[in-house]
Amino acid sequence: MKITFKIWRQENSNTSGDFKSYDVDGLTEDMSFLEALDHLNELLVQRDEKVIAYEYDCREGICGQCGVFINGRAHGPHANMTTCQLHMRSFKDGGTIVVEPWRAKSFPIIKDLVVDRSAFDRIIEHGGYISAKTGTAAEANAILVGKEIADKAMDAAACIGCGACVATCKNASAALFTAAKINHLNNLPQGHQEADKRVMEMTWQMEQEGFGSCTFTGACEVECPESISITNIAEMNARLVKAKWLR
Amino acid sequence: MFFRKTIIALTGLFLCIFLIVHLSANCILMLPEETARSLYNSYSTALRESPLIKVIAYVLYLSIVLHIIYALIVTIKNKKAKPQRYLMNHTKENSSWTSQNMGLIGILVLLFLVVHLANFWARIKLGMGDVVALDTNGHVDVYEVTYSLFQNIYFVLFYTLLMIPLGLHLNHGLKSAFKTLGFYHKKGLRVLAKVSLFYAGIMAIGFGIIPFIVFFK
Repeated sequence: MKITFKIWRQENSNTSGDFKSYDVDGLTEDMSFLEALDHLNELLVQRDEKVIAYEYDCREGICGQCGVFINGRAHGPHANMTTCQLHMRSFKDGGTIVVEPWRAKSFPIIKDLVVDRSAFDRIIEHGGYISAKTGTAAEANAILVGKEIADKAMDAAACIGCGACVATCKNASAALFTAAKINHLNNLPQGHQEADKRVMEMTWQMEQEGFGSCTFTGACEVECPESISITNIAEMNARLVKAKWLR
Repeated sequence: MFFRKTIIALTGLFLCIFLIVHLSANCILMLPEETARSLYNSYSTALRESPLIKVIAYVLYLSIVLHIIYALIVTIKNKKAKPQRYLMNHTKENSSWTSQNMGLIGILVLLFLVVHLANFWARIKLGMGDVVALDTNGHVDVYEVTYSLFQNIYFVLFYTLLMIPLGLHLNHGLKSAFKTLGFYHKKGLRVLAKVSLFYAGIMAIGFGIIPFIVFFK
């Protein structure tokens, strides 16, 4: 396969970036997208050029590190998939692939395709945990959780914090991420004690970080690798109404 | 953030209810000439004289103003949250055009509203322009204002075409308002999506067809 990559290059957060084109030959359809980028980086090393910085870790779709905007979609042309699970067979031989970093004011670019997602960490620091002691596994298992509730909490807990929701949202809203983290804990008995405080503080921090507000375009749930439903955002809103005005 | 969206949702829902009442009343315009004139004029006189409607009218003005102001604030803040656009962005593959362009659609609805208020509200309530005559029952002849306006095909087309953005705005707005206020029942939301589409369709078609019916009378 022969592909022209058009990739965003930016030295650091203080400099402005630009697109640079690279013609890459010798790719195969069974290569993953990240392997194709590795291949390109090897060529750049041989040519004594600076390699393209991009993030990855597990390469099996569970860590959430490898987020980039590919050909106008977060994580590439398929719905509900991470970048590392994308393969070159999804692209046309001889075509051009535009690769951009996540774009949001709250995700400043560190270098090339790598963005700083620590805004998510700071949202988690504001209540995305429980301080109740659950004891050992045996003790934790003594707290009965109904199947429906457990499933609901687990569906929300599946969020890997990749940032695709923010990246694809026209408002750069972190509502899906924050809602997933809140609903994961607030649905479980261990999370009940701090439920109101959690929803108030995490949404407050979300706003402090400069994310936009949710206008329900629904783009986030399509691009989310974990298929986290947008109804989580409505549920977060309900929890917020309850915590703020109905106490 | 949440407070601002709540205001937009609540005022939007109030405006949705207002539109139902408005369209119901406008259906009188579809009746034969004489019946329509006397019914429409006595209805509008009753509205103007009712103290309850006076209060509701102020709530309505306030709703429109708040809806616009907060939508503007939220839009500006949202644009700031995403200062740099993508070179390539296929939004159509993950969301509806309407949901991506509610601001633009809202501006078109506002343009309609300004013209609509200038045509009716300014003349009848504020007394601007030509004096509106009384009908045989002694009521202000609001029907005549409507009838004469829709003898002009350009106004007919304007009123009809701008019901398209209104319909789009209502379809996205109604279901989103419920989600903003915290309605998250999954099956309920599926029903709500259908209700929104139905509601928006009825409003757009209803308001859009009446100018034509009046034109061809």
